[in-house]
Amino acid sequence: MTTTAPRPSVTEIPVGLSNARVAKRGNVFVDWLTTTDHKKIGYLYLITSFIYFLIGGVMALVIRAQLFAPGLEIVATKEQYNQLFTMHGTIMLLMFATPLFAGFANVLMPIQIGSPDVAFPRLNALAYWFFSFGSLIAVAGFLTPQGAASFGWFAYTPLSSQTFTPGLGGNLWVFGLGLSGFGTILGAVNFITTIITMRVPGMTMWRMPIFTWNNLVTSILVLLAFPILAAAMLALGSDRVFGSHVYDAANGGAILWQHLFWFFGHPEVYIIALPFFGIVSEIFPVFSRKPIFGYKTLVYATIAIAALSMTVWAHHMYVTGSVLLPFFALMTMLIAVPTGVKIFNWIGTMWRGSVTFETPLVFALGFLISFVFGGLTGVILASPPLDFHVSDSYFVVAHFHYVVFGTVVFAMFAGFYFWWPKFTGKMLNESLGHVHFWTLFVGFHMTFLVQHWLGVMGMPRRYATYLPEDGFTWMNQLSTVGSVLLALSMIPFLLNVYLTARNGQKVTVNDPWGYGRSLEWATSCPPPRHNFTSIPRIRSESPAFDLNHPEVALPLAMESGTAPVGSKK
Amino acid sequence: MRHTLRRSLKSASVLIVLSLVLAGCTQQSMLGWLPTERGLTNQVDRVIDLWVVSWVVLLVVGVITWLLILWAAIVYRRRRGQTGMPAQLRYNMPIETFYTVVPLILVLGFFAFTARDQVVIESPLENPDVSIEVYGKRWAWDFNYLNENVYAAGIQAQEIPGGGVDTALLPKLYLPVNKKVEIIIESRDVIHSFWVIDFLYKKDMIPARTNYWYFIPQQEGVFRGKCAELCGEYHSLMLFEVHVVSEQEYTKQIQALRSAGQVGRLGPELNVNQNLPGTTPASERE
Repeated sequence: MTTTAPRPSVTEIPVGLSNARVAKRGNVFVDWLTTTDHKKIGYLYLITSFIYFLIGGVMALVIRAQLFAPGLEIVATKEQYNQLFTMHGTIMLLMFATPLFAGFANVLMPIQIGSPDVAFPRLNALAYWFFSFGSLIAVAGFLTPQGAASFGWFAYTPLSSQTFTPGLGGNLWVFGLGLSGFGTILGAVNFITTIITMRVPGMTMWRMPIFTWNNLVTSILVLLAFPILAAAMLALGSDRVFGSHVYDAANGGAILWQHLFWFFGHPEVYIIALPFFGIVSEIFPVFSRKPIFGYKTLVYATIAIAALSMTVWAHHMYVTGSVLLPFFALMTMLIAVPTGVKIFNWIGTMWRGSVTFETPLVFALGFLISFVFGGLTGVILASPPLDFHVSDSYFVVAHFHYVVFGTVVFAMFAGFYFWWPKFTGKMLNESLGHVHFWTLFVGFHMTFLVQHWLGVMGMPRRYATYLPEDGFTWMNQLSTVGSVLLALSMIPFLLNVYLTARNGQKVTVNDPWGYGRSLEWATSCPPPRHNFTSIPRIRSESPAFDLNHPEVALPLAMESGTAPVGSKK
Repeated sequence: MRHTLRRSLKSASVLIVLSLVLAGCTQQSMLGWLPTERGLTNQVDRVIDLWVVSWVVLLVVGVITWLLILWAAIVYRRRRGQTGMPAQLRYNMPIETFYTVVPLILVLGFFAFTARDQVVIESPLENPDVSIEVYGKRWAWDFNYLNENVYAAGIQAQEIPGGGVDTALLPKLYLPVNKKVEIIIESRDVIHSFWVIDFLYKKDMIPARTNYWYFIPQQEGVFRGKCAELCGEYHSLMLFEVHVVSEQEYTKQIQALRSAGQVGRLGPELNVNQNLPGTTPASERE
């Protein structure tokens, strides 16, 4: 079933090129193009999604520039403005955040469970290329005469029909995302199989790192949500291209699409949140020098969030007048409970710990502080009488940037700084890391905090412009200035990456942070092709920590984290 | 111990009251920055109260959480020269139970108030005094005054150079003050959303579906309305005004529509979607 035997390396094949340098470069290229190594595929995912993050970010800057004052025409037509926010949303959700999960999961999850690779390495490569080409197809809409899709990233019918949005851009969007969605589904199948079947002896389910647990739960959510999206997309494509009538308004198609889309769309929010909760759950213990607080509670909270997330899709549809409000309101509010449990578990991890403020932890704290506010506004939005006013306003825009940007971007950078030595064998610079954090943190809050007020005072989302008498101008200007600062924060990061690649010190130890807990810190930086030359005994969820700090490791008799331990030294 | 607890409770309550009073300096913040006034419609007070109370509770929870984050990070920081390892604490059942049960109780309480208010806001008013059918169309509004059998057909907001629109040309919806109003919400083409900002309410206009909104406007004035669901290129120009006027003024406006010859109803025969292939045109339906 699994293919772990090494394939003949490309370098062994004689090449007929006289220029050795060209040959070598070509080999590297072909090697990455044809790789089935989970780490390399992971890096491909990470690099591709980060490029899309930058592209989506530039689009956001144009959007913010257009909103700097009422009546501006920075974007030539309102149609182009609609294309910009449609593709900004699509890119950030489906070409940045979702594949970023696949990237982190690919590189780290097999190492964390002591596996030499994923269960289906070729399927893994196929999934990446599906995502890669699907995304290229979707953004290629910009090259067509009428431009890219402009019906918003949730493509409500009948606006997204051929009648109201004709043109190739919409077709490319529909089928590109369909293809990329299949990549995500195949990736999830691969992750689940790997986690279920390829754990190293001793790695019981209750000894898996939280990051791996969250990948498992996320992958299950992908299997529940993405097939619905793929089916809905193909039906929309069939309406657009073949003239079928699945989403005709006369047949109730307008509401049908909303149900199908949000049945995918809400779990999707957790698909891009849970893995990043996993990342910070790895970081808090290492820099607090303590195990994660309430390991099992955290796992159950993750499962509870995933289960509840399948029952709340219609809270996006409160104002349609077509859904059972009390049910979806109650389910949505209940999500606050397991989410709160997670937040307090992270605080509990620092509590009575010995906390140091390296860049990964600083980013994790930035995530925590931002995310709490996104959670509060989420509770407000869960209440239909309050949502009736702020739904589809900038309040919602602010809310989901607090939860999604607050989670994905802050945790992504936390993960980059944390695992950079594991990825590349070199540590990123700490001072530049702190500069990066503070510009990002201030820029982020300056951009999005004020948008809550904008929404409450009546600015609808997706408006290409507003009126001078609306009184939104100064708040929009503050937001735009904040977005510039946010964009500038990428400079210290990219500089850091460049300088580290050029001048960075090589990491010679397995665990440069000194207090790493999961298995990836028990192998070299970067790990060998099949990840381990030897694996330590696994008797808790922190095998690397047990190996390096036997004096405080769990006593042998205690086994994994099954019994509450509060022993003092 | 007990004494200090009581004292700190007392000082905390003083702080909360003080901050509320200080925050009350501006009328806006007393309304939670909601762009309305108390008593504007029979619904807004309910929304304002739920909004403000929810925010106060949530901010208390939020501030406690933020302080806990900072406290844990700062108090338990690793001091210079510190060595060794903290106790490897893994679980604390009482604390974990506490922070599971308390949010659960808060959430259930919040749900109770939400459910109560939502039922009232969504309930139809019996025997409405005026019934107005609103059609959303790209990118304006048609208003059918059903009781009076007149209509007003709106046009898209006209931009003026340098920003802003010509407000004289905006579609205008007239409502008599202190009368039970029924708004029948429909769409001619794509999904729109009928949002009267000052009334703190919106409802989607969905093709081939009818939604309703019942309320009583209680103060005269001109209020902003906007389309809140993306409907295509000129979404941001799909604006209107709600004029809440006296009974006499309302009759005058209806009379003006009638003398302009706008008698009857702009019905579903003007919808665009019926011409989709596979559906029967209205002309052949009956």
